[in-house]
Amino acid sequence: MSVKQLLILAPTFVSLFLLQSYFWVPTFEDQARGDPGRLTRYIQSSIGDASILNPTLSADSASAAINSLVFEGLIDRDMDLSFRGRLAESWRIFEEAYLVVDGSERLPDGTPATPEGLVRHLERARAAKHPSLRLVERIEVEPAEAVTAELEAEPAAPGKPAKVAQVTLRRPPRLKFTLTEVDQDFFARLDRLLGGYITRLDPRRFLDPALPPALRAQAAELIPPAEHNPVIVFQLRRGVRFHDGHEFDSGDVKFTYETILDPKNLSPRVPDFEPVKSVEPQGPYAVRITYKRLFQPGFESWGMGILPEHRLNREALRKEALALGRDPERFSVRDSRFNRSPIGTGPFRFVEWKTDQYVRLTRNEDYWEGPPNFREFYFRIIPDLLTTELTFYAGTTDEYGAQPHQVSRLRDDPRFKYYSGLALGYSYIGYNMRRPVFQDVRVRKALGMAINVQEIIDYVLYGQAEGTTGPYPRQTDFYDPTVAPLPYDPAGALRLLEEAGYRRNAGGWLQKDGKPLAFTLITNSGNEIRSAIMAIAQNAWRRLGVKVETLALEWAVFINERVDKGDFDAVVLGWSMGLDADLYQIFHSSQTGHFQLNFVGYSNPRADDLMVRIRQEYDPGRQVAMARELHRLIAEDQPYTFLYVGKWTQLFDRKIARLVPGPDGTSRYAPIVTTKLGSPKFHFTQWIKVPHPVDFPVHAAN
Amino acid sequence: MAVERVEGRRRLRGESPSRIAWRVFLRNRVAAAGMVTVAVFFGVALSGLMLTKGDRPILDPREVRLPDKLQPPLSTPNREALPPELRPRLGVYLFGTDELGRDVFARMLEGSFVSLAVGFVAVGIAVAIGLVLGGVAGYYGRVPIGIGRFRPMTVDTLITGLIDVMLSFPSFFLILTVVAILRPSIWNIMIVIGLTSWEGTARFVRAEILSLREQEFVQAAAALGAPGPRVVLRHLIPNSVAPVMVSATLGIAGAILTESGLSFLGFGVPPPDATWGNILADGKRYLFDAPWLTFIPGTAILILVLAFNLFGEGLREAFNPRLRQG
Amino acid sequence: MLPFLVRTAWKKLWTLFFISIISFGIIHLAPGQPSQIDPLNPRFTPQQLERYRQAFGLDQPLYVQYARFYQQFFTGELRSFKDNQPVFGKIVERTRNSLPLFILGTILIWCYAFPLGIATAVRRNTLFDRSTTVLVFALISIPGFYLAYLAIIFVVQTFQVDVIGLRTFGREGIGPWYAMMDRTWHLVLPSLMGAAAGIAVLSRYVRSQRLAVISADYVRTARSKGLDEDRVLYRHALRNGLLPFVTMLGLLIPGLIGGSVIFETIFAWPGIGRLGYEAILARDYPVVISINFIAAVLTLIGTLVSDLLYMLVDPRIRL
Repeated sequence: MSVKQLLILAPTFVSLFLLQSYFWVPTFEDQARGDPGRLTRYIQSSIGDASILNPTLSADSASAAINSLVFEGLIDRDMDLSFRGRLAESWRIFEEAYLVVDGSERLPDGTPATPEGLVRHLERARAAKHPSLRLVERIEVEPAEAVTAELEAEPAAPGKPAKVAQVTLRRPPRLKFTLTEVDQDFFARLDRLLGGYITRLDPRRFLDPALPPALRAQAAELIPPAEHNPVIVFQLRRGVRFHDGHEFDSGDVKFTYETILDPKNLSPRVPDFEPVKSVEPQGPYAVRITYKRLFQPGFESWGMGILPEHRLNREALRKEALALGRDPERFSVRDSRFNRSPIGTGPFRFVEWKTDQYVRLTRNEDYWEGPPNFREFYFRIIPDLLTTELTFYAGTTDEYGAQPHQVSRLRDDPRFKYYSGLALGYSYIGYNMRRPVFQDVRVRKALGMAINVQEIIDYVLYGQAEGTTGPYPRQTDFYDPTVAPLPYDPAGALRLLEEAGYRRNAGGWLQKDGKPLAFTLITNSGNEIRSAIMAIAQNAWRRLGVKVETLALEWAVFINERVDKGDFDAVVLGWSMGLDADLYQIFHSSQTGHFQLNFVGYSNPRADDLMVRIRQEYDPGRQVAMARELHRLIAEDQPYTFLYVGKWTQLFDRKIARLVPGPDGTSRYAPIVTTKLGSPKFHFTQWIKVPHPVDFPVHAAN
Repeated sequence: MAVERVEGRRRLRGESPSRIAWRVFLRNRVAAAGMVTVAVFFGVALSGLMLTKGDRPILDPREVRLPDKLQPPLSTPNREALPPELRPRLGVYLFGTDELGRDVFARMLEGSFVSLAVGFVAVGIAVAIGLVLGGVAGYYGRVPIGIGRFRPMTVDTLITGLIDVMLSFPSFFLILTVVAILRPSIWNIMIVIGLTSWEGTARFVRAEILSLREQEFVQAAAALGAPGPRVVLRHLIPNSVAPVMVSATLGIAGAILTESGLSFLGFGVPPPDATWGNILADGKRYLFDAPWLTFIPGTAILILVLAFNLFGEGLREAFNPRLRQG
Repeated sequence: MLPFLVRTAWKKLWTLFFISIISFGIIHLAPGQPSQIDPLNPRFTPQQLERYRQAFGLDQPLYVQYARFYQQFFTGELRSFKDNQPVFGKIVERTRNSLPLFILGTILIWCYAFPLGIATAVRRNTLFDRSTTVLVFALISIPGFYLAYLAIIFVVQTFQVDVIGLRTFGREGIGPWYAMMDRTWHLVLPSLMGAAAGIAVLSRYVRSQRLAVISADYVRTARSKGLDEDRVLYRHALRNGLLPFVTMLGLLIPGLIGGSVIFETIFAWPGIGRLGYEAILARDYPVVISINFIAAVLTLIGTLVSDLLYMLVDPRIRL
């Protein structure tokens, strides 16, 4: 063979060989070519990799997506967003309330307030069916007790740690009430029955007079006159096994709680569990959780995935540390290999994790609710959004989250089915109320009225959003649908500003007492929707005669230097919310300090009171009523201009359906149904891919 | 052969080698087309600078017109939704609009200057470093360096060593790393690209000086007391202008591509400066929905870089007598 | 021979030393204390900062940090900030993934560049030559990622098959032939993209080699002896023209890592380039430094090997 022939043949052969390989690759329509098992695999893609597969330590959404399949919590939310038992079969919530007995006080009948006297007095009222004692099941006396605590004698100074003093206090005897329900007004009513006895209680009376004055205030806090201790008792599901075969029991619940609170582990979940006073197993299948104070949002946090104690307890960690040649004293759960090969009780068990490539799970045949239909679950990492879309078209990703501008194009594609819903959160413009300009509600209102929110929704978000009027997610009951949105009314806005004392000067700019109405609107860079909102607001306000500068700052600078320090005039931001009614961190006037979330400095005593009462209220009906009142109050005060709630759209291959057991023991295909939030993946364990798309009769929602 | 004869005749008439090369170059129509294109782009860049800079530019690349977002090329503005002062000067969106309704034509004009500037400054830095280091290595190469009596190497080994070191690194990854650590900014990108692409020039200059030094007339001049460096310089400059220009031309093409690659990875010239690279990289999100957002900058880069490459290749052929034929 | 080897080795050692300094020095580029690198960067968590302090011993003088880093590097104790896995193992694994791309890319370059270069040289200044020249330069003039996107979109939209990743993701338990072809198919686009620039450069190189050789004395002699034109062009000319390519071997390795960053990211290819990019994004300094260092060392070895080869092939060269 001559060289010339070789030079022609070699490229021809290589090209042909490469091109023919196409015929062995499956197409979108024929994904099971050469591999029927493809129909029992689910591939979800993500731009970023998971970071730590431990539900108590993870803080990113990729890790959360995997953890929610491998781990399971005691409870979760069902289709209607009510709580549902998972690892817990049932639960009971009641309260233990404590009242300090002060012998120097007198009861309404003039007798000294001894423990026995109080009990006698209350039992008599209970026998008479006094309404304030309706919920009381039992009244007991707790003897006096010594309390030891470490107090801060001198606060920490720069470069010097705080000086700590150990003090022992004598706590007087207390009455312990066991209530059938949690009642935040129990003591208020009791106080009336006892003739103001509780109001008069002063813990400083119980302190040793020798105590240094610097410590007295702190010490007094350790002896609260009256204390609510809500209690949750979970009855746990029997016979549930971790993926390694070890049985799940109450010890695992306690261990998970301790892991979160152990400061060595740096868990981001500490704020949710800090109000817990104790977690006590009651036999292997029940666990009793006592809270230090009323904290209703705490219930939801028991949806936290439960860790296997036997894999991570002190002894197991010690062994692991020695095997790895690390110092056992400094080796924490965070260092354990468990976080890259987790073991839980969830419907899928962990198989392998290839960094920046995929996390692979296989179904848990032993799952207490029956194994999922999908045999395998892949969490695939594709670093690029556009190629993600293309893998979806090629059938190697089963789920795809469409951007707003793509929705109209993809929604009508017959190859896919889509689900859409409102996000749990909202975008807003926040006004820094420490600035004199923004202290006037009329100014805030006028600025909001000048912005055409509908225009933002139509042009910036391609219609993939809806307006909102207040601080709660639109889907929850806490959102008051009767609150009217702020109208788009530039003329009315101008009138309001004139009412507030602003007049147009020669240049057409609004001013008051010679000072122009001017401020800077900031947001973080890299978010083009927020930049667009900023531009729209600037433009709208300029037409009103308000001078506005805009500034997009790098996220870290934006948050750490400006927002957290309250160093801004107005800000475009968004909140993503949970399903609870608690707004304390975002709007309570005590949360306005550096690095706290009420960075706009909103303060309204009535709203403050409501926020405190909402997080202490365990009765859903009363909580909703208060939340709606709070919504109305905040909408009236307009600390933010509430803009819109975004919509998400998720696309799926049309070949995905549910396979459910029929009444006669056979299985049949059923359409996918969505939860109240519009999410289709509630029944994920029933999902399966069928070889060819099935058409169901159209089902109405729900 | 034929060439030699032609050259011989021209020599007689007193034509210098570079004149001949130039003639050869112009006869290469592809290369000449490349040069003309480059010249046209220069004009575009300069007019872009004048039309889009300042507080009230004639074509404002930053004007956001949301009602007119993602309009295809040649579409007319939406008259009801836009106040008159926001309508484009040309009466039409020549290249369409982007996701914020900004005029892509104005942005491309603005970007043309920045993109070329990135290429020029980066290559300018590279050529300067290359000339200095190559010159030093060539002329003072034999000077030993070290401390006291310990002199393990000469200037030449140091500099050629440095060239070897730089050639060993994967240059794009090195640039990416350094830009990521220093944070991307237009200056950082120019400097880093410049600092990592001087090796070719340095090598060439060094070799040229070494060969010059050996030539009789230089040695003769040195013997006659003429300052050595000046003699070398006088003969060096005419000899190396062309090759340095070749590598500079190709270098600019490379720098523009490198910038677009960095933009794709998120480490390119950050906004508000528009470059063709970052317009292209930003447009990729809308590849399906607004293909012109990538097609226009992509094609512009292709044409410009292609022109530079063909121009450079033509120069290389023209100045290399071995390739010069027929 | 021996003195030459010793001299070369000595020189390469010095180069290695400088490479190690530059690789390590990169992380000290940011102004201020390296411990303050992006204290505001949300990606840099406190745990990472703590590991950073431990890994680099920031309170020590620079040369101690340097020695400590390379001690950890060479004993294999160096661990990634991101997932706490040994850096060396990660790099080996990812390099293994990149290798097929690299090999196929090289095959493609050589397969296409030679015929193309020779054909254009033979038909120089014809329409064919000019159009090929423009086309070949167009290949290196278009931003690689744009070309890659266009290619991917074209293939996926037309044929509805997967081209992203090592293989059709989620396809398991298929026969070996299926599996092999599947992998081959997934190699096609990325290796072609990676090879495009190489084909362009090398074919131009071959072309100019050819042009020089065609007019060289010995070819003229051969031709005048009445040898077959093709034989002259391909056999004789090829042998002498091959020499410079040996040199190119050593310089291919930086391309393996540098050039692949973009394509591996687009194709979600778990190779060394993407490892480097993800490490840069995550500020995973041990990995970033190691990749730079290892790539430079490999190149160094490559040039050493090609120097030796050169010497064996062409006995005239005695450096």
